[in-house]
Amino acid sequence: MKTMKKLLLAAIAAVSLVQAPHMAQAADVEQIGRSAYLEAMTGKKVIFVPLSQGMDLNQAWVTVWQRHAARYGFTLEVRDPNMNTDAGIRALQGAIEEKPDLLIVQNPDVQTYARMLKQAQSAGIKVLQVNMQSATQTDSYVGNDWIEMGRLEAGELARTCMAPGAPSKKIVWLAGVQTGAANIFMRTGIDQIIAENPGLELVSDQPADYDSEKARQITETVLQQHPDLCGIMGIWDNAEVGAGAAVLAAGKQDQVTIVTNGAGADTGCESIKKGLLDVIYNFNAPIQGEIAAQQISELLQHPEREAGAEKTMFFGPITRVDKDNATGRNCWKIDDFK
Amino acid sequence: MAAQRQPQGRIRINQETVVIAISVVLFLVFSIFLNKFLSQGNIIALLKNVAILGTLAVGMGFVVVGRGIDLTMVAVMVVGVAFSIWLSTQGVSFTFAIVVGGLLVALLGLFTGILVAIAEIPPIFATLAIASAVYGAGRILFSSDVLYAPSNIQWLTFIGSGTIFGIPMSVMVFAAVAFVMSLFLKKTRFGRLVYASGDNPAAARNSGLPTRPVIITQYVVSALIAFIAGIIMTGLVTGINTRLYNSTLIYDVLLVVVLGGIGLSGGQGGVRNVIVGTILVGILINGMTILNFSYTSQNLIKSVILLGALAIDAVINPRDEQTSQSGDI
Repeated sequence: MKTMKKLLLAAIAAVSLVQAPHMAQAADVEQIGRSAYLEAMTGKKVIFVPLSQGMDLNQAWVTVWQRHAARYGFTLEVRDPNMNTDAGIRALQGAIEEKPDLLIVQNPDVQTYARMLKQAQSAGIKVLQVNMQSATQTDSYVGNDWIEMGRLEAGELARTCMAPGAPSKKIVWLAGVQTGAANIFMRTGIDQIIAENPGLELVSDQPADYDSEKARQITETVLQQHPDLCGIMGIWDNAEVGAGAAVLAAGKQDQVTIVTNGAGADTGCESIKKGLLDVIYNFNAPIQGEIAAQQISELLQHPEREAGAEKTMFFGPITRVDKDNATGRNCWKIDDFK
Repeated sequence: MAAQRQPQGRIRINQETVVIAISVVLFLVFSIFLNKFLSQGNIIALLKNVAILGTLAVGMGFVVVGRGIDLTMVAVMVVGVAFSIWLSTQGVSFTFAIVVGGLLVALLGLFTGILVAIAEIPPIFATLAIASAVYGAGRILFSSDVLYAPSNIQWLTFIGSGTIFGIPMSVMVFAAVAFVMSLFLKKTRFGRLVYASGDNPAAARNSGLPTRPVIITQYVVSALIAFIAGIIMTGLVTGINTRLYNSTLIYDVLLVVVLGGIGLSGGQGGVRNVIVGTILVGILINGMTILNFSYTSQNLIKSVILLGALAIDAVINPRDEQTSQSGDI
């Protein structure tokens, strides 16, 4: 037994000796630019001020960014104001004081953070805005093309409701919060489609405040007024399930088309399977997160560029998801990215 | 109770009558000018839309009658139900998870009651702090704001979309909660104790009434009623949105209670007042949604009408030494 062990050790030693020159050679080969990249990333400080980490899209982004940060040695701190604008302003003020290398912001509306983002830029902090824009344009925006989103949703309903045999040409817009950037831009897109399709009638536009019960109440009332309603557009799948519940309760699921958008989480696909929603324009939050991660790398790699010197936009992908393709990549779970 | 002492045949104009009058006027105006307002479907929709608000208001009314206030209701509602849903994702059956959630909620109510009754922390502060703590704990436990109930629970689907004699189950549950509470307040000795300790806590305690257990029970009951409201909501929209804690819902509930004529100074009013207040808010919201008023103008009109109701009452029944009580807010 003892001799066997010795022999084995000797063999291992011999193999290592033979391998050694090869290993030294491998260490010489440097992936071009890698060390500069690592140097640019390591030790950098990124602060993210979200709307609320309770939303599926936020969870997807942060999971992707944390993975990126852990791999390349920068820090990502999330200062969650939990939908409270005052807390958000304090979080932003605190973040500006700390002078991070990059500030990521998801705006509650177009105005609230606008001045502070200007301040951050003039203090030399680079600012990346995600999905919800401010009136101030900063170094970069990664997120939805919201006007296109409005056009897509209204276009979907225009196709359905202008077609021969449609129950009527009446449609409903269930906004989130009327001052939100996404809402304002989506409304622009919706108005364009309505103008392009004479006859298409917007019979109600009430904000559901991103709440499913409020969406249900509005839909229930509107369905009484317009029993021949053809379609409903919304802004977040988790709220429009309420509209779906009202339509199901009225037994009109075959008549009313419900189209909304969402981060592409599995819960949205479940809602489609339950018959609560018909179409989700899925903006795939994890892919959005990856695009933003690329922007993080880009902005950190060029400390010599002044904050606000370049202003870039990146619109993420939008996939139309209905019951036929509510599977796979279109229905992610947060554990898929860990 | 004051109304019962009035001579027969004379209508006493109080806040409740003012609110009823405003409701009737609004109802008539909407019926005449709004197409399909007065249809059976719309009236049912109107009631269904205030079922949750009304249920919460019954619980709040019960506490306010005893000169308390329970600002934990919305937090307890969303976190209690969300906890049950979370538990059901850990491999427990949903029905059992609801029972456990109910127990947790009762314990929360017990804790609030003990803080108010025995530690004698003013209820407005105690419940404000507990609401924040309960929601915060929930926020740590559940990663998402919106939690979906499992989809194959038949009794939950029935609460959400079932009907009895054409009346939605959500409205039936509200009616049942209101009916039981009304019987409890009017017909049981315990109910009278609530009025007595609300009207004059010191006198009630001095005459040997068990005011502390009464107060504790009130908070347990209001927490359980909040949980029932949460179950109705989960049935209606297949999930619960914990972010409702940040909405104005708790103030709407309080508004319904005060508007209906239950004074914050306690000892007066009952379930009828809650129903009156709930129906006025229901008519208002329904009418304004049909009129497609913007969110901001809806809030403005709602506040103006509610303020008007309170102002009319203040003019008709001015407060003086005889009508005001100690501890009046």
